[in-house]
Amino acid sequence: MTAKDYSGVYVVGAGQTTYEKGATSSVHRVLYEALRAGLDSAQLGWKQVDGLAVTAFVLPPDNVTVLAEHFGLSPRWLFQGLYGGASGIVSMLHAARAIQAGDADIVACVTADVFDTARHNEMLDHFNAPVRDYMAPFGFGGANGTFALHTRLYMERFAAMREDFGKLCIAQRENALLNPNALFKKPLTMDEYLNARVIAEPLGLFDCVMPCTGGDCVILASEKVTEKLDVPPVRILGGGEWHNYPGDDIYTLRAGWEKFSDRMYEQARYGPDDMQFAQLYDDYPVMEFIQLEGLQITPYGETPAFIRETDTTVRGTFPINTGGGQLSAGQAGASGGMIGVVEGVLQLRGEAGERQVPCQRGLVSGYGMVAYGRGLSCSAAVLGTE
Amino acid sequence: MSSRPSPRVNEINRPFWEACNDGKLVLQRCLSSKCAQFVYYPRVCCPHCGGGDLQWTEVSGRGRILSYTAVHRPQHESFYPEAPIQFIAVSLNEGPLMYSRLLELSSDDGDVLDRAVQVVFVDHGNGDKVPFFKLVRD
Ligand SMILES: [Zn+2]
Repeated sequence: MTAKDYSGVYVVGAGQTTYEKGATSSVHRVLYEALRAGLDSAQLGWKQVDGLAVTAFVLPPDNVTVLAEHFGLSPRWLFQGLYGGASGIVSMLHAARAIQAGDADIVACVTADVFDTARHNEMLDHFNAPVRDYMAPFGFGGANGTFALHTRLYMERFAAMREDFGKLCIAQRENALLNPNALFKKPLTMDEYLNARVIAEPLGLFDCVMPCTGGDCVILASEKVTEKLDVPPVRILGGGEWHNYPGDDIYTLRAGWEKFSDRMYEQARYGPDDMQFAQLYDDYPVMEFIQLEGLQITPYGETPAFIRETDTTVRGTFPINTGGGQLSAGQAGASGGMIGVVEGVLQLRGEAGERQVPCQRGLVSGYGMVAYGRGLSCSAAVLGTE
Repeated sequence: MSSRPSPRVNEINRPFWEACNDGKLVLQRCLSSKCAQFVYYPRVCCPHCGGGDLQWTEVSGRGRILSYTAVHRPQHESFYPEAPIQFIAVSLNEGPLMYSRLLELSSDDGDVLDRAVQVVFVDHGNGDKVPFFKLVRD
C-alpha cells in the first residue's frame, strides 16, 4: 500500500549554530541556540512551539521532557531520537505525521552535540551492549574500525579504489570552502588524501569525521500556520525509514534505503533522476556510496564509476553535500543527522549564498545507531519547493 | 591509564564468558527443529525465528576472515601500546559472525581476507579470558 503523503505540512525554518572545534559549550545551550536560529528563520516566537523533537547523544541524564522544562516550553507533542544519525529525518517525518493528525501545529526538530574525539570514543565504547560487550574489548577502533571493515569489503567486491572515496571527499571539501560555518578551511588534494595518517586500514584521516560542537534545527508547521508566514515554504514530498535491515547479514553493503526508496519516490511523484542534489549521511565515504545505491541514484555496486564520471561539487551535474557535509564541516554528534536537512532546506529556500545550486527538489538522508558492526537505522526524504 | 574496555557479564552472556575462561567457545543454538541456527552475539531469543529456547553449545572455534582492518588509532588508550590492532570479522563455521582480534600476524602472511582461523583464549589483563583468533597454518 502506498503510504499517505506529507501534504499540509511545511518546513518553514532552518537554523544552525556556529560549528566549533572541540567540546566548547553545554549541549543544552547549543540546542537552545539551534532552536532560536530555526525559529528566527521561520519568523516564529519561542512560546508558539507546541511540539518538540530532540536528538542529542550527550543530553542524558536529561531528555526531551526535561529539556522542555529547561526551555520553559509546554508542548503537546514530544519526540526523542534514538536512531543516531537517522534521527534528524525520522524526527521530521514523525513530526509531519503529528501535524497532519492535528496533534501539533508547530514542531521544532532540534539536534546538537558537544563532542571532541576523546568524548566521542568514550561514548562509543558504551554506546549499547553489543558494542560495549562484543566489540570494544577487542580494540575495534570505534566507528573507524567498524567502517574500515565495510570499506575494505566494498573495495573488494566492487573494485572501488581509494581514489574514488577520495574524489568524493575532495569535492565536499571544495563545497565546504564556500560554507562560512564549515570547520575545514583549506582545499584537500588527492595527494594529501591518499598519504594522510592511517587511522584504520584502508581508512585515512580524511575518511574520518572530526567530532565537534554544533546544533541544527528545522521548524515544521501546519498549512494554517504557514499561510500567515512570509517565508519560502519547503515541502516534504516523500520519506521513509527502516531499521535493522537485513536482520541476519551485516555485510550485504546495504542498510535499508532500498526497502523504502521506491515508495518514497512514488509519494514524491518524482524519480531518482529528478533529484537535483543529495545531502547524504557522510560518517564515512563508503556509506555515501551505499546510500547512493539504496536511494537509486546509482545501481548497486556501481557508485565508483558514477563518482569517477560526475562532478559532485556545487558547480557539478549532481552536487553532493553542498555545505561540505560532516566530513568537511564537522560532526556534531547527533547533529550529523540534521546538518544535511538544514543544508537542503537552505538550498531550496535560495539562502545558500556562494554555494547555492539551482534546485527545486533534492534528497536528504540519514544513518546511524551503530551497534554490532553497522548502523541499525536509515532514513531519507525528498524535499521540494512545489 | 584507565582500564581496558571489558564486557559486562550478565544473565544473558554469562555462559559465553565463563566458557571462554575454561578455554571453550560456546554459542547459543535455537532449539526449534525448523530453525536450529546458531546465534551470536548472546541473545534472549533466536533472532532468526523468534523462538525463546536457546541452548549453549560448544562449537569448533574455526571460521574464516570475512573482513579485516589494522586499527592504527584504537578507540581506547589501553590499546595504544599494541597498535596496530588486527581487528577482524570472522564468519564462524557454524554460521554466526564474530568480531575479534587476529594475533601473531607476520609480514609474510599477505592478504588475510578469506583465510581460515582458529580461536585462542587470551587473558584480558583482569584474569578473564577473551576469544581471539590465529591463522590456521597448514
Ligand atoms: Zn530460531
